[in-house]
Amino acid sequence: MDWVGWAILVVRVAIVFFGLLISVMLYIWMERKVIADMQTRVGPLRAGPRGVLITLADGIKLFFKEGITPTAADHPVYAVAPILAMFPGFLAFCVIPFGTSVTLFGREIPFQLADLNIGILWILAMTSLSVYGVVLAGWSSGSNYPLLGAVRSSAQMISYEVGMGLALVAVLMYSGTLRMSELIAAQDTVWNVIPQFPAFVVFLIGAIAETNRPPFDLAEAESELVAGFHTEYSGIKFAMFYLGEYVSTVTVAAVAVTLFLGGWRGWWPFDGAVAWIGPLLWFVLKITAVIYVLILVRATLPRMRYDRLMNFGWKVLIPFGLVWVMITGVVVVLPQEYGNRGRYIAGAVIVGAAALATLVAPLFSHRPASEAEPGGQPEGREVRA
Amino acid sequence: MSAQEYAFTVLAVVGGLSAIAVVTARNVVHAALYLVVTLLSVGGVYLLLGAEFVAWVQILIYVGAIVILFLFGLMLTKAPIGRDTLDNQQRWLGALVGVGVFAGLVFLIQEAFPVQDAERFETFHATTDAVGESIFRNYVLPFEAVSFLLLAALIGAIVLARKDDAS
Amino acid sequence: MLTEYLPIVAMAVLAVAFGVASLVVSRMFRPHRPNPVKLSPYECGNDPVRLPRGERFSVKFYVVAMLFIIFDIEIIFLFPWAVRFRQLGLFGLVEMAFFIGLVFVAYIYVWRAGGLDWATSVEAPADADLASDSPRDPMAAADEELAAAMHDAEVAGAR
Repeated sequence: MDWVGWAILVVRVAIVFFGLLISVMLYIWMERKVIADMQTRVGPLRAGPRGVLITLADGIKLFFKEGITPTAADHPVYAVAPILAMFPGFLAFCVIPFGTSVTLFGREIPFQLADLNIGILWILAMTSLSVYGVVLAGWSSGSNYPLLGAVRSSAQMISYEVGMGLALVAVLMYSGTLRMSELIAAQDTVWNVIPQFPAFVVFLIGAIAETNRPPFDLAEAESELVAGFHTEYSGIKFAMFYLGEYVSTVTVAAVAVTLFLGGWRGWWPFDGAVAWIGPLLWFVLKITAVIYVLILVRATLPRMRYDRLMNFGWKVLIPFGLVWVMITGVVVVLPQEYGNRGRYIAGAVIVGAAALATLVAPLFSHRPASEAEPGGQPEGREVRA
Repeated sequence: MSAQEYAFTVLAVVGGLSAIAVVTARNVVHAALYLVVTLLSVGGVYLLLGAEFVAWVQILIYVGAIVILFLFGLMLTKAPIGRDTLDNQQRWLGALVGVGVFAGLVFLIQEAFPVQDAERFETFHATTDAVGESIFRNYVLPFEAVSFLLLAALIGAIVLARKDDAS
Repeated sequence: MLTEYLPIVAMAVLAVAFGVASLVVSRMFRPHRPNPVKLSPYECGNDPVRLPRGERFSVKFYVVAMLFIIFDIEIIFLFPWAVRFRQLGLFGLVEMAFFIGLVFVAYIYVWRAGGLDWATSVEAPADADLASDSPRDPMAAADEELAAAMHDAEVAGAR
């Protein structure tokens, strides 16, 4: 690569990085404004027009706050944890195509940092790394609440990662490629959200749990755990956890848009030199829509109880994801093997499997006799912790 | 040296040093973190070898799942987390065994894949597609055997974890 | 192929540099006035009863992590299959159905054994239990820990 190539590389990366920072700033403002509207408050008002600079003001405030390192903390790990918490989000965003491409200096510059062969796998790998920020923050604080919060929320994150992974597999089966650019090409006529709607729902639920957003924000259940894994953090380190959480949210929304909502595809009347603006705007619009849905979910639903959260993840989301993967397989393969007749066979297989599942289901409805309550009422028991 | 050789040198040094740190660290959680660094550099070596899928599987499974199990295991047992130390009196014996295993592995690998004909091994590119074709057409039986292994592992975990209230 | 990773490496470097730089620069500007109370572990304003050292968590977390590994490996096997399953056809589908079926047997076993129930365990509460399981006298241990913490805090304060 010559020096122009290197310069373009650095500028592209810097634009994505700071673009993410700015979008995080705006989405935090949007979240606070929307929630304020729903609770008939005014929300942020003072910093900038309509309070749009509130996040920046918060960041500057936290930057100059005293940073406390508790005496019982494990110093190096305590300092590294916030950085670990924020960087999987940035890295995962690298494979997202956020537009078509633009020609500058006689070179075509794609609006995507890296079009990896294994795009979807990359996203899953980065998601799995995001557990470390939480675990290490909680452990290194040397304090009870953070440790409890960290163990809890890491168990939550790994549980929902499975459901999310199954949703990704279903999309991958449907589109037949791991590469992000080909995924978008495959959604030429119809977005994946229509044939893969169940996978979309599973993905969205998994994504909310992965990013520790309400109603799955058990990591910071303030009524029981103070602030969860970052109880002992203050100042700029706390700001980094906050930044990491919202970068992950934006990234997860971008992944949802790319996998299910057609990525940057849309309708745009312009052509020629400004043709790249349309896809970029569509991409931003779709991400904003997904984040708006996440905010609505947050404003509507109360926080889940921990046992219900784990039960839902393991007993509903994962079996459902597995079944959906198999259904996708049957529906794609059988018509391909047997032509039109395959459609009927596929339907028959699915109906038969459903009937079998109905027969087997009563096995799970009650618990082993030693633990069953006299009333035989399986739901509605209180948690003890 | 080419860029790839530089990258390999860096990965090998970092991976080797942190592997040593895994066994010399006096805090078990720090040891687990050094293990993460070692596993990441092994993933990096796979990447350099052109095995992109294997590299990220390495990171997804080992870094993202198995070390997390280790950390949970550390929190589960009464092993001292925090700044306490954990050690026994078997250092020299351990070092001896480690050196022995290392020498044995070096010998075996050199016998099986001699450095002199390294050129022969450069052609295969383990893309996801190739891996899938290979597993699901040529190695069907081992693949199904893996599911038995997983079954056994899970049942073992449950048997270890449950209370003996029946007996 | 490896040049594809250059932007990712650049992004990683930029993210880490951003993190480290903000930690370092913030350290130059922010106040630093520690005192023992400020530096003690948070316990809602009370003196910390005891610090988390050598605690035991519910075995459920271990079971969850183990289950997670198994399902993670299953997903990893699904990836190359999903890329290839159109070409593999019916054979590949049956193969994978068998594989998933066997893992599902394990899953059903765990379910029946109560490994997925979080609210119903009889002895151990569903969540991590910090107070019990300690052979030491809790109050004596608390005093000891607290003394150690306070000593640490004084050392740090003097620094």
